[in-house]
Amino acid sequence: MVAVPKYLFFKGCTIPAKLPHIEKLALDVLPLIGIELEECDTFSCCPDPVQVQGTNHAFWYAAAARNLAIAEEKGMDIMTLCNGCLNTLAVVNHKLKKNPELKKAVNEILKEVGKEFKGTIKVKHLMQVLKEDVGMDKLKTMVKKPLTGLKVAGHPGCHLLSPVEVLEFDNPLDPQIYDKFIEATGAKAIDYITKIDCCGVSLSLSGAKESNDKCISRKLIDAKGSGADAISTGCPFCFTQFDMGQIIAAKTVPQLKETQLPVLYAVELLALAMGRSFEEIGYGNHKIRPALKV
Amino acid sequence: MEIIKIKYEKDEIVGRHFTSEICYKCSACSKFCPITLHVPAYDLENSFVVHLYRAEREKALRDVWMCCSCEKCFNICPQDGDPAHVFVNLKETSYREGFAPESVYGLVNQLLNAGSAYVVSVSTNKGREKLGLKEIKANEGVVADLKKLAAKTDLKVKGGSGA
Repeated sequence: MVAVPKYLFFKGCTIPAKLPHIEKLALDVLPLIGIELEECDTFSCCPDPVQVQGTNHAFWYAAAARNLAIAEEKGMDIMTLCNGCLNTLAVVNHKLKKNPELKKAVNEILKEVGKEFKGTIKVKHLMQVLKEDVGMDKLKTMVKKPLTGLKVAGHPGCHLLSPVEVLEFDNPLDPQIYDKFIEATGAKAIDYITKIDCCGVSLSLSGAKESNDKCISRKLIDAKGSGADAISTGCPFCFTQFDMGQIIAAKTVPQLKETQLPVLYAVELLALAMGRSFEEIGYGNHKIRPALKV
Repeated sequence: MEIIKIKYEKDEIVGRHFTSEICYKCSACSKFCPITLHVPAYDLENSFVVHLYRAEREKALRDVWMCCSCEKCFNICPQDGDPAHVFVNLKETSYREGFAPESVYGLVNQLLNAGSAYVVSVSTNKGREKLGLKEIKANEGVVADLKKLAAKTDLKVKGGSGA
């Protein structure tokens, strides 16, 4: 078993409320590959890097820094399953570490809640932990049931890739690491033209429904047409776009009705590779759930 | 080549970012911007980025919320421009002046009431219980902290005077 540091589990808001089976899978399956998690009840919403960041920058920085300070008090690095949480916490962590004046200003605000940001911990997404701590080659040797025959289109998602100088995860214009994860599970990673296309979540959030449907459809039709049996992501917003969003988009984009491309969360794919059945990973909770053979 | 001039308060935004001054409308960002690609009002020549630089003030402040900060424009811009961060700043102005979508003001209310982004129903917690997970409930200490941070940073709640 690889020696991976224990991580403080930043669950975020979306997974516990909307996709609790993902939370459960992470707690059950990640220790099998050496990733131990500690839960924490005093985190708040990260808060999100798309909407809340735009409301009031000082509040966004301070709320994120409060979460970071909690982890610093425990002396533990943070791991999250959500691209949005990663982006907020990693960007704030990075910027406060690099900019003493900003750090001083945020700490002045944090005095209101008796916290201080010191810049002593790291923030990682599960995919970064797999890449940097476990290693994809090592992960491959730990897989119990290689997903041979399953063809998966990887969708790392925008907020896992940028800003690259902060996240240092992969090339945002030609990402490969998520494909390496797919290959480590034994599945075949499918390349497709729209791989780096955004899932379009802001179109959904801002009410641009038809545009949102077009965005989702373009990506899923391309992935399916490229040979994928499923698309996989490590972001709950992207997951929801491709799952529930696919059902909704199919009403306005007839070609999508035939597509029926299921989405598998990163930890679901991992759980399958560790021997869990589709029923055990909560596949029955998915809106799009054609039978898949592995 | 045309240099884009923005119509709204230049100093407010440009004072923080030089990006909008250096855009020469090459359309590189258009190929990746999900708004340009999928919203009929925009195309490769008239991208969402250029729209936000050029639009009348109120239109820009309303439309900016379609930006999801995917940063593809930043990654591809040959001028090392950073429209994504200009638009984050624009969102702040928009929110403060009441032009953000109602859902965003609702999200802030929710955060300050519960510490998390979603109202959690009884059925959600029943589902969690079935999975052997702890119930989600508002943590009073977390909520109190967020309200203090909101007050200190003057985060406005629409229709109210702040947290």
